[in-house]
Amino acid sequence: MSDISDKYNIKCPSVKRLMREAIELAEATEEYCARPLEDNLFEWHFTVRGPPGTDFEGGIYHGRILLPKEYPMHPPHIILLTPNGRFEVNKKICLSISGYHPETWQPSWSIRTALLALIAFMPSPAEGTIGALDYSPAERKTLAKKSASWACAKCGEIAPLLSSNAAEPITEEEKSVLNQIAFKGEEEQTPKPPEPEPTYEPEPPILESVDSSTTFLDQILEIIVALLVGAIAIFIYRRWNSYAAIDTDL
Amino acid sequence: MADDAASSSACTGNLGDNSVNQDELILKQQREIEKEISESIPLVGEQEDLASLEKEYNEDPVYLLKIKDLASKYKCIRRTRPDGNCFFRAFSYAYLEHLLKDKEEYEKFHEIAKNSKDILVALGFPQFTVDDFYETFMEVVQRVGEQAGGSSDGIEDIRKELHDKFNKQGYSDYIVVYLRLITSGQLQTQHDFYQNFIEGPRTVTEFCRQEVEPMYKESDHIHIIALSNALNVGVRVKYMDRGEGSQVIAHDFPEGSKPLVHLLYRPGHYDILYA
Repeated sequence: MSDISDKYNIKCPSVKRLMREAIELAEATEEYCARPLEDNLFEWHFTVRGPPGTDFEGGIYHGRILLPKEYPMHPPHIILLTPNGRFEVNKKICLSISGYHPETWQPSWSIRTALLALIAFMPSPAEGTIGALDYSPAERKTLAKKSASWACAKCGEIAPLLSSNAAEPITEEEKSVLNQIAFKGEEEQTPKPPEPEPTYEPEPPILESVDSSTTFLDQILEIIVALLVGAIAIFIYRRWNSYAAIDTDL
Repeated sequence: MADDAASSSACTGNLGDNSVNQDELILKQQREIEKEISESIPLVGEQEDLASLEKEYNEDPVYLLKIKDLASKYKCIRRTRPDGNCFFRAFSYAYLEHLLKDKEEYEKFHEIAKNSKDILVALGFPQFTVDDFYETFMEVVQRVGEQAGGSSDGIEDIRKELHDKFNKQGYSDYIVVYLRLITSGQLQTQHDFYQNFIEGPRTVTEFCRQEVEPMYKESDHIHIIALSNALNVGVRVKYMDRGEGSQVIAHDFPEGSKPLVHLLYRPGHYDILYA
């Protein structure tokens, strides 16, 4: 922390705030842990445990938190690095309140709020939102098992990062906030960095059924278009013929 | 025939979707333009003569008449950035400025401000982030307190410092956040009373989470009533719009209080007025 206070203006509210959050989150819990990179207070790495009783049970997921310079006035962005079957990896996702715009982020929320919300949001249906994946329960469970041995290039093996300490209990206020938070990918796509563990990416079988239904619809559409074009062609041909007939009559 | 109906409704459906996308695009563009304009205006500007308002409405007889009325009571205006936080920024700037000349009022306010954090924490706001905003807020308040009612040189120094801090996005926004939290706290503690002011099916808590606590959300009567009550500070708002008559109507919050802060409201925006 000492070099951080040399490097940044600790009078600046966002720096002061992030240093406080770093102290607040210094001790790992069994559900989550997060800390700033050695050389950048505005980028953190986090680890969360998959929520028990869901397809993510037993999974340990690692990722990055990018903090805008306006933090906490603007929300942090989260990027998952461990393949999980719920969110695309290496893609920015941001918090929003379901049904509202992301500007409803509140400065009194914190990195802890974002992590708790992420854990709570993981089991929710993907529903085709940007950055969401809809893998089958079996795929997600396989990924959860594999995730325990996943390692981050910066932090090393992620499994030992979490501790057995219980996290501070979730307050009533937090609970009602968490129920409202949704995550979705950013509209503008950031260029994808190379994926660290490409072998973990299975083909999601569930997408096949979606695919086949779209092609079915496409086929019907194609048939209708073909029929219409045919009908118009015949119509023009007959019209042209009858004109031709009149012409020859004259 | 049935086919026709189906295909035409499908068409209008498509049109509907397209127009929504268009609308969204236009809205997005509009927001970007507004943002650009707004960021070119200082968070809190210098004090200007009321004549600068006249220039703005050069060819607008309705507004010119009203500015004349305004000029009978006020001499100067201080503009704030129209970013949705203007009420909170204008209010806090004007009130702290007033406190510099009013030691007694400062002591009263300091006591209320000091207790405000415990009220928020008791309501369930996260202690650690509330602390963060509270400390920055109190830091600014206490700087004012050091010179409140003091020598004119000392006051002038702090006034400059206040102006600087209010134009530093970090500090300025922290003050706005804390006032938003106090407003939300007041609404939630007295939710039975304030529920009557909220249109539609929203609860007070939902309203606070959507319209009070997030930054850049514009303030309405209910915000002003709640904040002026929470801090026990009289606010007079002069409403200047295109309505009939040549008078600018004033409204005092809380009703019947002695106004220490004077604000000018034009649709969607608040600036500070000086007598």
